Amino acid sequence: MARRSQGTKLHLAVLCLVVSCHAIGLSDLMERASQRSDKLHSLSTSLNKDLDSHFPPMGRVMMPRPSMCHTSSLQTPKDKEQALRVSENELISLARSLLLAWNDPLLLLSSEAPTLPHPSNGDISSKIRELQDYSKSLGDGLDILVNKVVQQLNTLCKMGPSSQYISSIPFKGGDLGNDKTSRLINFHFLMSCFRRDSHKIDSFLKVLRCRATKMRPETC
Amino acid sequence: MWGEVGGALVLLLLLSEVLDCIGISPPGKPVLINCRSPEKETFTCRWDPGFDGGLPTTHHLYYQKEDSDGMYECPDYQAAGSNSCFFNKSHTSIWVNYNITVVAINSLGSTVSDPLEVDVMYIVQPNAPENVTVSVVETEESPHLLVKWEPPHEADTRSGWITLTYQLRVKRQNKKEGEWEEYASGKQTQLIIYSLHPGDVYMVQLRCKLDHSLWSEWSTTTHTEVPDYILKERSIWIVITVFSAFILLLVTFTLAMKRKYVKHCLLPPVPGPKISGLDTQLLKSGRSEDILSSLINQGFPPTIATKDQQVDYLLVFDSEQVTPDLQNGQTRTKNIDHGRYDHSLLMEANNKEVKVGGRETVEQGYSEGLESTFWKTKSLSHPCPQKKPFNNVTEMPKQAPVSSKYRSLSHHKDLLDSLARHLDYRETVVKSQSNCDDKHLSSQNIVTPLKAIGYVEVQRWKKSIGLQVLVPKMDKSQEDYSTVSVVENENVVLLKRETVPLNCTSCKLRGNQSEKCLQQKPCKPHMTVPAKEGVYIGSNGYVEPVTISHTL
Repeated sequence: MARRSQGTKLHLAVLCLVVSCHAIGLSDLMERASQRSDKLHSLSTSLNKDLDSHFPPMGRVMMPRPSMCHTSSLQTPKDKEQALRVSENELISLARSLLLAWNDPLLLLSSEAPTLPHPSNGDISSKIRELQDYSKSLGDGLDILVNKVVQQLNTLCKMGPSSQYISSIPFKGGDLGNDKTSRLINFHFLMSCFRRDSHKIDSFLKVLRCRATKMRPETC
Repeated sequence: MWGEVGGALVLLLLLSEVLDCIGISPPGKPVLINCRSPEKETFTCRWDPGFDGGLPTTHHLYYQKEDSDGMYECPDYQAAGSNSCFFNKSHTSIWVNYNITVVAINSLGSTVSDPLEVDVMYIVQPNAPENVTVSVVETEESPHLLVKWEPPHEADTRSGWITLTYQLRVKRQNKKEGEWEEYASGKQTQLIIYSLHPGDVYMVQLRCKLDHSLWSEWSTTTHTEVPDYILKERSIWIVITVFSAFILLLVTFTLAMKRKYVKHCLLPPVPGPKISGLDTQLLKSGRSEDILSSLINQGFPPTIATKDQQVDYLLVFDSEQVTPDLQNGQTRTKNIDHGRYDHSLLMEANNKEVKVGGRETVEQGYSEGLESTFWKTKSLSHPCPQKKPFNNVTEMPKQAPVSSKYRSLSHHKDLLDSLARHLDYRETVVKSQSNCDDKHLSSQNIVTPLKAIGYVEVQRWKKSIGLQVLVPKMDKSQEDYSTVSVVENENVVLLKRETVPLNCTSCKLRGNQSEKCLQQKPCKPHMTVPAKEGVYIGSNGYVEPVTISHTL
């Protein structure tokens, strides 16, 4: 048994080395993921600006507070020190969870966008569709990364329990409202929540990207 | 009671009026200008205090975070200057809404500003890049500007928490109303600018951005002067161009001066045929008379200087072609040098000997050019002459003083054959007609195109006993014709050559006729018996005289 455990450890050590040799591939994946998340956040920012241009005067008051976002239950780092203390797999799990949480709301938004009482609802509608595409693409990439990072680093090297960090966040808001104002306000609110979450995803992935390319600090 | 309340109110009103008259009041409403985070770790809020009311006023900033309850006051009022509040790292949270208000308090009251909702992710704006250095790099091909800079010192670029992207803009100072040219630099901290104008001063500015943040302010302008060395390069090229143009002019001038030489060198004249005695220019002129004279002229045949070296013409005539002139005994001879000669027609009809006739043919022969000097004559068909013994040379002298001076050549078929051959006739026809038993030459025409010789013309001979050949002499004074004495062999015909004074007869014959000679008036004693001369056809085709000493 001792020999076998020693052999297993040696085997694992070799596997760890092999995995570390794959760091180049990992950095490429991270680069692509961070580029997609950057695009995602840019789209959401432009959407919010479009919505802000035609906002009802009392809308600011009526808008729910950001803590009312459905993803606020997910505990994420709040500043730089906290973010840098989080492990890679946790960070990537957080990013993946956040993205997964927005699949359903984006579906709702895309269905509501054409009938939105807004002068540029056509642009909004096309941007939402684009958001969905990027979200899907990023989600697939993050799945690969999660498998790579979580399984290879966590399971093989550290021999720790393979914990699934991806949590599912249900979206309960099934309807934007009945009247035009409430629909518009709720639409805007959802978009502001998405804007924040996309910013979080982007920040986490860029931190991970910097960590993955330790050989080239200039990419950070 | 109502009276006391009314009295207090009246007092307050009076007080406020009095205070207004004095000029003091509660502070005005402060206004929060903005909050800014330069590195996504701290942020600073600034406000406008507003009217202080004439009294010393203090301002307090209070904030509320969305995820926690309670009102907190600003942790640092001094770090960022007056009327500001600096939130350090421990007090800064991102993705958290801050509700910030400012309260102005003086002795008379306080005033609260409007609240401001702040999320740090929205208020990020970095400072401008620092340590901008611009240097001119002079390479062989073209100079360029190398711009280097550093990120703002407070930005943390190592952890990946922020990602800086830069932007650069350039402007030429000399060009008034010029536009800034912007270049994106991405994440690099240096940039190269090409296509510079020499001698100009360039102004460079930089700014940066944190991820999706706002752009920073433009950095301070950096001035750089590009030296003028490109003009020096151009001046060298100008010198080279002028120099080469000068050389080209020289060469062109020289070629123009030596036009003929160049033409002779490049296009050498085609050498014409070198025929001595022929003037090509005269031929080109096309005048037939001159042509003929020139063809025959100019020392052709060559080397005839003295009598002894004279080449005699041999003319063969047809007896039936006797012109009336000739029968009258007129002879027309001309100098060879003039290139013409008449055929002196000899003969008596009774001899029926061949005569050569026709000036036309000769002219024709000459006028046709060098290559064919003789042409066929009209063929005259003659029946075979009657047989006549040839060697009737003795009869000749009878005729000689009567008609002309000529020579008669004994006919010999072989001689003529060789004559024809050696003279390189183009067509030599020597035929013997079968019906002529005497085996003499038939009447055929002989074409004698001969390159060099124009003198021997055998126009026609027929089967006759003899041929009489007329040889016009060069010298008029010596218009004498030699008679054939003997035919030595195939190639040689011996002629007697003598001067025939009028008053004496020559004794040139052998044999029986010498008696007749003696009977006549003798010639002068100084007259010697001339040596026999012969004519032979040399290897070159010429008929050449041969002096043979011979005894009578």
